[in-house]
Amino acid sequence: MATPADAPPPADASGPGGDTPIADPDEAAAAAATPPDDPRRPSAIPGLEGDPLPLEALAERIVNGFGAVTTDISHGELTVQVAPERVHALLLFCRDDDAVRANVLADLSALHWPAGEFVVERQPATTGWPDYRIERDRGVIEVDYLLRSWFRNHHFRVSVGVDDTEPVLPSVTDVWPTANFHEREVHDMFGVDFTGHPNLRRILMPDEWVGHPGRKDYPLGGVEIEYEHDKFIPSPQDRELRQVVGGERGGDRHE
Amino acid sequence: MGLEDNLPSGILLTNLEKFVNYSRAHSLWPATFGLACCAIEMMSMGGPRHDAARFGMEVFRASPRQADLMIVAGRVSNKMAPVLRRIYDQMSDPKWVLSMGVCATSGGMFNNYAIVQGVDHIVPVDMYVPGCPPRPEMLLDGILKLHAKIQGETFAEQGAK
Amino acid sequence: MSETDVDADTAAQHHVGAGPRDDDHTHADDPGTNPLPDGAAERTDDVGEVRATHAILPGDTPDDGTDAAPLALQRSGRPDHGGGDTEYWVEGADWESLDDAIGESTLTINMGPQHPSTHGVLRLVLECEGETVLAVEPVVGYLHTGIEKNAEYRTWAQGSTFFTRMDYLAPIFNETAYSLGVERLLDIEAPERAQAVRVILMEFNRIGSHLVWLATGGMELGQTTMMTSGFREREHVLDLLESQTGLRMNHAYVRPGGLANDVTDDFAERCLKLADYMEGRIGEYEQLLQRNPIWVSRLEGVGVMTPDECAAMGVTGPILRSAGVDWDLRKRQPYCGYEQYDFDVAVGHGADCYERFLLRVQEMRESIRIARQAVKALPGGPVMVDDKRIAWPSKLALGPDGIGNDPTYIRHIMGESMEALINHFKIVTQGFAVPAGQVYSAVEGPRGELGYSITSTGTNRPYRVHVRDPSFVHLQSVDLMARGHLISDVIVVVASIDPVMGGVDR
Repeated sequence: MATPADAPPPADASGPGGDTPIADPDEAAAAAATPPDDPRRPSAIPGLEGDPLPLEALAERIVNGFGAVTTDISHGELTVQVAPERVHALLLFCRDDDAVRANVLADLSALHWPAGEFVVERQPATTGWPDYRIERDRGVIEVDYLLRSWFRNHHFRVSVGVDDTEPVLPSVTDVWPTANFHEREVHDMFGVDFTGHPNLRRILMPDEWVGHPGRKDYPLGGVEIEYEHDKFIPSPQDRELRQVVGGERGGDRHE
Repeated sequence: MGLEDNLPSGILLTNLEKFVNYSRAHSLWPATFGLACCAIEMMSMGGPRHDAARFGMEVFRASPRQADLMIVAGRVSNKMAPVLRRIYDQMSDPKWVLSMGVCATSGGMFNNYAIVQGVDHIVPVDMYVPGCPPRPEMLLDGILKLHAKIQGETFAEQGAK
Repeated sequence: MSETDVDADTAAQHHVGAGPRDDDHTHADDPGTNPLPDGAAERTDDVGEVRATHAILPGDTPDDGTDAAPLALQRSGRPDHGGGDTEYWVEGADWESLDDAIGESTLTINMGPQHPSTHGVLRLVLECEGETVLAVEPVVGYLHTGIEKNAEYRTWAQGSTFFTRMDYLAPIFNETAYSLGVERLLDIEAPERAQAVRVILMEFNRIGSHLVWLATGGMELGQTTMMTSGFREREHVLDLLESQTGLRMNHAYVRPGGLANDVTDDFAERCLKLADYMEGRIGEYEQLLQRNPIWVSRLEGVGVMTPDECAAMGVTGPILRSAGVDWDLRKRQPYCGYEQYDFDVAVGHGADCYERFLLRVQEMRESIRIARQAVKALPGGPVMVDDKRIAWPSKLALGPDGIGNDPTYIRHIMGESMEALINHFKIVTQGFAVPAGQVYSAVEGPRGELGYSITSTGTNRPYRVHVRDPSFVHLQSVDLMARGHLISDVIVVVASIDPVMGGVDR
């Protein structure tokens, strides 16, 4: 990579918190010179020891090293389920352990499994499919941490479920500062309170918004658009400003 | 504004109106209010292929005080709505609003809690250009129709806005 | 005087979209008021002079005899107030206490959501001392569209139409990442031809996105020639995309299972012609910018981020590669058949904005290389998976009035086969059902790792789709990169991140 003669000196490889892989220009050049029909080139990242760990071995390592977690491998992905009290310790373990070495938090997301009955209508009259119903006695907000390791070239998911009436989790901004915005978004959309977060405010919605739109009991909102041929729609000049939060019919209206 | 209100109507005023409207229409400077995907098509309209400068839209003024036309290009969220109104208020008369794209016109495909269902809830709109996003040619067509509309305006109409 | 040093644009921004703390502070546009404490004016001028002659390199201190510049820089760009000074580290919640603690010597400037240079509706609240930025707080959410929630009320195929509008400069990447995730849940694989076309369109889309970056970046730094050139080039890329997908932007073309329709007969010819054309033009941009003294001095040394900081802040894409880390998902976790193409990943060591510029130009070259190989090796076959329960049923064809349903297909479902009609009806109105499960699929977008966390409960609608957008993650690093720099450097830093607010706010 040609850099101008007066470029600043290359960034230092070692620093607090562990070394991060640096591409050595000679190695990179050697990698580029490998014949194109060899799909597995030598990695330019020092420290990448051989092939990535197979998921079963990774799961085993986490269970043996940390314990008291359930693992699940499906669709080629590993999901580690842990209790909310232990999630911070588990994430620290994943970051610091030599074999797991998850140095990057790729994603922090959440989803809501509401209590009671949740129905997805599938128009049984036309499709013959039964309506899809989930019945849960306890509402859960599942928070997923997607961890990625640049050294081992693997990624996996840590999943934790918190009660949806009082969702509280420890913040992981001290483990990976990138969690800052992600946790603010989960707080905004689902109402999860991350203790220890330096700036837990709404990020996507306006500051004074009430409610957490990501939850399943929050309506989609919007305006009624179904065509009724005898309905009079006033011109824009005659319209008043309408409330657009919370449609009159909540839930699933769009077929 | 004041002078126009006090002028008597008649043939003198009609000719004056025609002249003033001609100059207003043909040097309409847009304010940059690009929000989302439509903003990119609006920039393309200002680009070399669909050159907007040949129609008088020479520069996109960043400061609303120096702009005539606000092209609301993109979806207006509820958080952005007060900002939109404030920018509109900061524009000096005469001013026009063109709502570009279906999201600005009516909320578009996003019929939900987050998007204002039509920017005409917030500011008075003079021209609606549908599309998702509208091609630069469509936007130019809308602007030319707006030119024609401006050409036909009287002083009283503009003052009443 | 310091008022004239203050950027005229910045003064104008006080009028626009004032922030919540605007009323509390003196404004630089108030004539006759010097916002800086006495004696600071000379320091600002001195620092201004130092900064004008060469870019600030880490470790620099001015040698004009003043006792430490207001903010001497450490290697990572964090301010070091010198021995004995209290260092204030504020994050959001303590914002008000900062004002009380250090008094009125700092100025809060709001680069409001409506701004010509902030790449969309991004609001930056800058805490400055003179022209030097002490802290930047990005405020996002002005384009929040609720796409993720809206997708829960649509079928799986309709999701493509929604997610393509998130990162609207790289729509094919959005669609592809989503489709790859859904295909993984469905346990199918799109045909090879579809994968190859996806790769080609993705790479041309990458070129288009980098062109917009170059164009708007140049415009923000005052170089409007780059703006017109960039958009001129982009028109050619959009022509290609329009000829295949039907739309210039936000094509809902890549769907779970493959593509919406096959490519035209002259696809290969068009692509190769475009590739040849673009290669010449990229040389032009290099000539225009690479040795341009203004460009170099504005971009060099600005916005340095070390690899450790990148890992901690979750930064991927050109910013990470400019720090020397050879991490590209196309190589490390190949998808869509990238392992069969021969290309290099552009990696640099400068870790500053100039390096990122060089890398992006190099990435455009590599994209052309990949596209050429993929076009030459384009396999025949279908572009949609063979499964009748999943595949989008209609066949699109080019008719006398444009792309529309193939007349033979219409004849088939209307006249010949009732089953086909019912199948068509069901798939189009209700969509297909995806088995329950949860996947994360990521692609290497022009900005970084673009990931989709897709959860299905076995119905015809997504239960939850969460998008990990790189711009959202990278915006957290603006503060880190811009501290201690000038206000105009904040623009450069934000430009080098290349945020697209549609992806940030979703």
